[in-house]
This record gives sequence, structure tokens and C-alpha cells, in this order.
Amino acid sequence: MSVAEGQSPAISTGDGPPVSAAARANPLRDARDRRLPRVPEPCALVVFGVTGDLARKKLLPAIYDLANRGLLPADFVLLGFARRDWEDGDFESLAKKAAKEHARTNWNDEVWDRLAGDVKFVPGSFDDDDAFDTLASTLDELRQSHGIKGNAAFYLSIPPSMFPVVLKQMERTKMADNASSGGWRRVVVEKPFGHDLPSAQQLNDLVDSVFTADDVFRIDHYLGKETVQNLMALRFANQLFEPVWNANYVDSVQITMAEDVGIGGRAGFYDVTGAARDVLQNHLLQLLALTAMEEPVEFTADAIRTEKLKVLRAIRLPVDLGSYAVRGQYQQGWLAGERVPAYTDEKDVPAESRTETYAAVRLGIDTRRWAGVPFYLRTGKRLPRRVTEIAVLFKKAPHLPFSHTDTEELGHNQLVIRVQPDEGVTLKFGSKVPGSMMEVRDVSMDFLYGEAFTESSPEAYERLILDVMLGDATLFPRNEEVEASWRVIDPLEEFWTGQQPAAYRAGEWGPKAADEMLARDGRTWRRP
Amino acid sequence: MTTLWDTTGTAVVQALAAERRSGGAVTSGLALTLVVVLEEKDTASVEAAVATAAAKHPMRVIMVLRHHIDAPVPRLDAEVSIGGRHGPGEAVVLRMFGRLALHAESVTLPLLAPDAPVVAWWYSETPTVIAHDPLGVFADRRITNVIRDADPAESLRQRAIDYAPGDTDLTWTVITPWRAALAAAFDTATAPAKSVVVRGNPNDPSAQLLAGWLTSRLDFTVPVEKAEGKYIVGVEITFADDRTVQMTNEGYKLLMRRPGQVDTIQPFPQRTTGDMLAEELRRLDADQPYGEALGAVTGLTGLNERSPVRTHIWHDPALAQQEA
Repeated sequence: MSVAEGQSPAISTGDGPPVSAAARANPLRDARDRRLPRVPEPCALVVFGVTGDLARKKLLPAIYDLANRGLLPADFVLLGFARRDWEDGDFESLAKKAAKEHARTNWNDEVWDRLAGDVKFVPGSFDDDDAFDTLASTLDELRQSHGIKGNAAFYLSIPPSMFPVVLKQMERTKMADNASSGGWRRVVVEKPFGHDLPSAQQLNDLVDSVFTADDVFRIDHYLGKETVQNLMALRFANQLFEPVWNANYVDSVQITMAEDVGIGGRAGFYDVTGAARDVLQNHLLQLLALTAMEEPVEFTADAIRTEKLKVLRAIRLPVDLGSYAVRGQYQQGWLAGERVPAYTDEKDVPAESRTETYAAVRLGIDTRRWAGVPFYLRTGKRLPRRVTEIAVLFKKAPHLPFSHTDTEELGHNQLVIRVQPDEGVTLKFGSKVPGSMMEVRDVSMDFLYGEAFTESSPEAYERLILDVMLGDATLFPRNEEVEASWRVIDPLEEFWTGQQPAAYRAGEWGPKAADEMLARDGRTWRRP
Repeated sequence: MTTLWDTTGTAVVQALAAERRSGGAVTSGLALTLVVVLEEKDTASVEAAVATAAAKHPMRVIMVLRHHIDAPVPRLDAEVSIGGRHGPGEAVVLRMFGRLALHAESVTLPLLAPDAPVVAWWYSETPTVIAHDPLGVFADRRITNVIRDADPAESLRQRAIDYAPGDTDLTWTVITPWRAALAAAFDTATAPAKSVVVRGNPNDPSAQLLAGWLTSRLDFTVPVEKAEGKYIVGVEITFADDRTVQMTNEGYKLLMRRPGQVDTIQPFPQRTTGDMLAEELRRLDADQPYGEALGAVTGLTGLNERSPVRTHIWHDPALAQQEA
């Protein structure tokens, strides 16, 4: 299953490669010394499609932020690859502009100047053998001149259709080969991981055959969020929550990811994808897996991914898909004081498009812990506000010694994990209204993260890129997880094919059908 | 903001509660209480540092300024604020006059956030014996700043003599980037180190602590060799395979020179006192590597085995002066 198996637990680093002998024996590293940051080994980060939107807005700024926080190794090279007639300097000025514009931390010219010397560019198109030979030899030269020791991470910031040709090139030049490079070679892929099960399997087979499965890092940036990682601390470091974290006490779970924006300039991608493939398949199912999984035997990538996979495989779709799988498409309306067009009026979207911009579904999990507890998942665009949260709604008390009128305003106790914005946790419970009458009403107790108290916590990309270089795969879904997720989504897509999505007005919380879906179960959506 | 003149501790507690109520839900969840001991002239620097640290750690700050112990009538002036120039948290500034200064804990104890760790920070003039200051006795973590003392090197020695687990000094925080860079340099090593030399001012407590830390982690003594500069100038490592690494501080940049390789430059960002305070507040338990480094500097052993609990020792500076 994984290389970590069979190793002694003391040196197991999950799916990462074994720590090199020198690093393990480093006398200056001490587990008790928590001030020293985790700094990766010397390495190169090779970015394909470095001129794209993602690279400019997220990747390059994240690299600057890491440098600024002193988390990049002393021997580090950023290598850009794209079809431009550029020199190192041209790329460097683009990278500088992008980093300056989007960096999270303060701009510091000294930091950039240091990084600038380590920024290289190789021009070429993906089908150009010469360009890839140049890339491979550049990496070899850098091993000596920049001390990167043959370690390299390849970031594929390119459309999935380009994957085969790029991966074939890497295979041909042996760039992906750990053994011949004398270090580690890792690859980072962005979603979408296919568009259905067969395509995902094909993609996984391809990537895993060129690189080894353990060297493939699939980025789901939601998992890089501080709160998501804290979900595991909340559940497994505390005694308070785990005893009630099951079907005996939990009434239902609602996982919401709402966006107020439309599709932006992504019509071409979005119209063939839709909300279910774009968000439900990856982000929401990953959040569900983290919420519902059993306790991992140890806090390692392998153990956590095993538990997540078990949950994903236990997901059961509703029998009556017509009632419990709703999709919608936004119509024109008003959002945040501005008039916004309907989906079908967006630029480059066909007028007769049936692509959904909203999806809600009720899922069950066939395990002893969760039997009978519905998990309601929803996502949509042009909803009133941008918010992602996991709400665990507890059952009502089996007996209330108060009169019915006293507790009229008492709802379900709730534990809400706010993923974004205002990362934190809310606990909602009943409390007496001050006064001579006995009246119980819901109040909420808020916790905001210390780190996030006023300052933004590390941007997800920073954390994830750092983890790739460190070889820590805890926050990256494994190929089986991706495939298990498609097994959930494929029947939904099949059911929806040819159906007209329900209409909802931009700026409201989804179509009526979604409200009716919960009303059928005697529940309502929480307003996030 | 509420300002109270010639007031009592009870009135301050009430003012804080009132401020919380009227301010709305401004703070939720306090992680700790920070008690800062400072002098009037340091107010601006401390306020800036506290504001930075409070942005990262939700906390209640109690600033204690002790004036004129010999004043005939004790008196307390206080200022209570939530948000504002002390950062996003809650802040109480206490000015104590006369004999009240010797009983500062009588005012601060009821102001501590319930069941949250207490950190005491002496911005300058660390007490020679922390147990003499009641504010240091009930703190779980104590932060000193020997660099602001008259004789920092002697002060650092005294910190080792008086050490209890949970103490740290900001001169230790200052060298975290150095230590991170050194650990990274050792990550790339192919053989064990043969000798290491710290270059800089041998009287600088940071240089001493860095050498002490290296000595405590390696199986040989690391000296501080005198070089032109006020603090740490550089570190030179020789490995058993005769590879060398030279690291030099070039003003907010760290230059790393290894024969046969391109020189690398790492940012050595200038950190404010606030940044360093924030780093200190990240850990509220004992810092054993600091204890070991301090032990190596002074030759004292078993520092981390000492009891973390101090008992207050009554110390009256007026009496001490008379006796002298």
C-alpha cells in the first residue's frame, strides 16, 4: 500500500520519503525546540504554465511569502517553464510584479532580491523535445551551482488536457525518476482530477506511472486552511466532543460552501463542469470525510488518508434522487447592491446551457457511527455571501422539564466550524432570557482563532507548497480518495443529465427545491 | 477608554467589565494574560510591542508602572481600554505610587483572565531575584530582557543562577533566525561537525547564548571569538570531511559561503520587539533548549530539573537601602 508500512514508527514520515541520513542525525534539531521552523531540504520548484492566472495570483505570491517568513531552504530555485520568448530577467520581473501585487505579507525588496537570483526560466512549448532536454540539463546544472541536490517538485499549473504530453516528456527525459536524479522528484497537480470516474482513473494511472504514487500531491486548497486542520485537533485532542460525535447525539450535518461571485471569466471550463464536479466532488466531500472519519491510529498522512478513504467509500446516495439531489442555476438578480446577470447571460455561456451553478444533496454514511444521520451538502454561486462552514446539529433533548411555551425559541444545539471567513468555531445552545419568566432561547458562543484574531492565517497555498517540499502528504487527497469521490458524483451527474436545473434568483440562498428537500425531512437550512 | 484617578483595584475590575459590556462582542476567548512591568519612559515602545503581539494572541494586557516607592501616601491610577493603541485585546494600565508598588499583586490578581496562563514580562531592569517580585511568582511564563540592563552579560549569568523552567530572555528570541539558519546548514551536511566558532562581541548575551546552544547540542565547546561588531557577526562551521560553511550577517541579510557553490543570501528580517514578544507567547510551557543553552553559557547544570514554581520572598528595597 505505502512505503511507510514496515518502517519503524520512529522514522515513519507518512507518505514522505525517508528522511535523509544527515538530516536525521542533525544534532541541532530537537523535537522540544519548537521555535525552529520546518524548512525543506534544498530543492527546485518547477512551474509549468507559470504565466497563468493561478501561478500569478497564488503560486508566485505564496513563494514570496514563504521566503519572507524564512521558510524556504537556503538552496532553492524557482524554475518557470512556458511558451514565451523570455530570459530569466523577464520572468523575474513578471514574478516580482505578481508577488508584489498579491503577497499576503509585507513587501520587502531585500527578500525579493535574494529570491531573484534563484529565479530561472526555460522557454519552450510542451511538445518541444529540445525545450525539455534544456529543462533537464538546467536542473542538472543547478544541482551543482545551487546545491539543490537533485530534489525537484514539478507544479503542473496547466489544463488537464496538457498533462499527458508534459508527463510523457518528463518520462522521456527521466526528470520524474527519483533514482536517476539522486534526490526526490514530486509532482503537484491541481483539480479538476478528471471529470468522472474513468477519466480520473486514467489521469491517476498516467501520473502515478510517471511518478510513483507517493510522489503525487493533489492540491485541494481547502485542506490547507487552518480551520480544517483544526477540525482534527478539535475532534481528537478534546474529550468534550468525540463522545457526542455520532448518530446517538447528532441529528444531521450541513456542509455549505457558498460563493457570492459568478463564474468570472471561466465560462469555457465552468459550463462543461458545473457546481457538482467543481466543488462537491472535491472540497465538500473532503470536508465531509474529515468531519465523519474515525480517529486515525496516528497523526500521519497514511493513517489519516486511510480513515478518510473509509468514509468516502461508505457514502450512500439517496434512493430517491429526485427528492434529495437538487441542482439550480442562477437567474438575474441583485447581489450586494448591484444588478448581476443570469448564468445564461454570462459571457461565453450558451443561452440554452443546463449547467448547474448550485447543487445540494443528502448523503448517508453507512457506518455504525453515522447510520441514519443525513449529511446535507450544498454549494452555489451568486449566493448572498461567501462562506464555508460545517454545521453539526445535535438532537433535541429527549425530555424538556419546561413548558412548551418556555422553549419555543429553542432550536438544535449546534457546533459550527467556520472554515472561511472568520475562521473559528461557534457553539449554539439554549440559555435563559433574563427576566422573571422562564424563557429559553438560542445563544451562540464564538471562538475565533488566535492566529486569525486580526491577522490572516497562512494562506492555504503557502502551507501546501511548503508541505510538498517537506514531503508531508497529510493534507493531500490520495488517488483512491479521488476515485471514491467520483463514485459518489457519477450517479448524480447521470441522474441530472438532460434535466433542466431549478432556477434561483442571484442573491438568494438557492432554489426553492433545496428548501423543500430539507422541509421533507422536517428540517431547514442553517443561514450561514 | 476609561481613566480612573486615585482609585482602587475593585473599581478597575468594574471598569473593565463595563468596558467589555459597552464595547460589544469585541473579544471572544482570551488565550492568556500578559503582565508587563515597565517604566514611564518605555511606555511608547511597550505599547507598540504589545499592540503587535496582541494582533496574534488574543490576550488581556496589564501594564504595571511603579513610581516613587517612598511616596508618603499610596495611590493607584488606572486606565482601561478595549481595542485602540494597545492592539485589539483588553488593556489595563496601572500606575502605582508609594508602598502599593510592593503589593502590586493585590491589584493585578483579580484582573487576571480566569484560568488562562499568565505571562510576566519585564521590559527593562529584570529583578535580580525574580521571587522578590510577586508579579513574577504567579506567572507561568516569565520573559526578561537582559540587553536593556546595565551589564547584560552579568545579567545573563544571574538569569542562569535564578533560572526556573518557564523563564526565557528576549536575547534568546533574537537568535531564532540564526538558529534556524544553522540547523538548515547542518541539514545539508554530509559529515558531522568538527568545530564551530561564533564570531562577534564576546560580551553580547545573544552571542553567548548562540555559542551556548551550539555547545549544548554538539559534543565540543563552541567559543565566541572577538570580531568587529556589537552583536553576532558570523558563524564558521568545519565538518569532519573538511567542508566549511561560513555564515555572515550582512545587515538584514545572511550570507552563506560554501567553497565550490554559489553564495546564498537569506533574508534576516529586522524583527521588532513586538514580533519577538509574539514569538515568546507562542509557547507557554518551559523552553528546555533555552535552559540548556543558558547552562552551557554559565557552566551550571540541571537547570531544567529545577522546580518551575517560585515562592515569594519578601524584599523591601527601602529596608535593603537602610541596611546598606
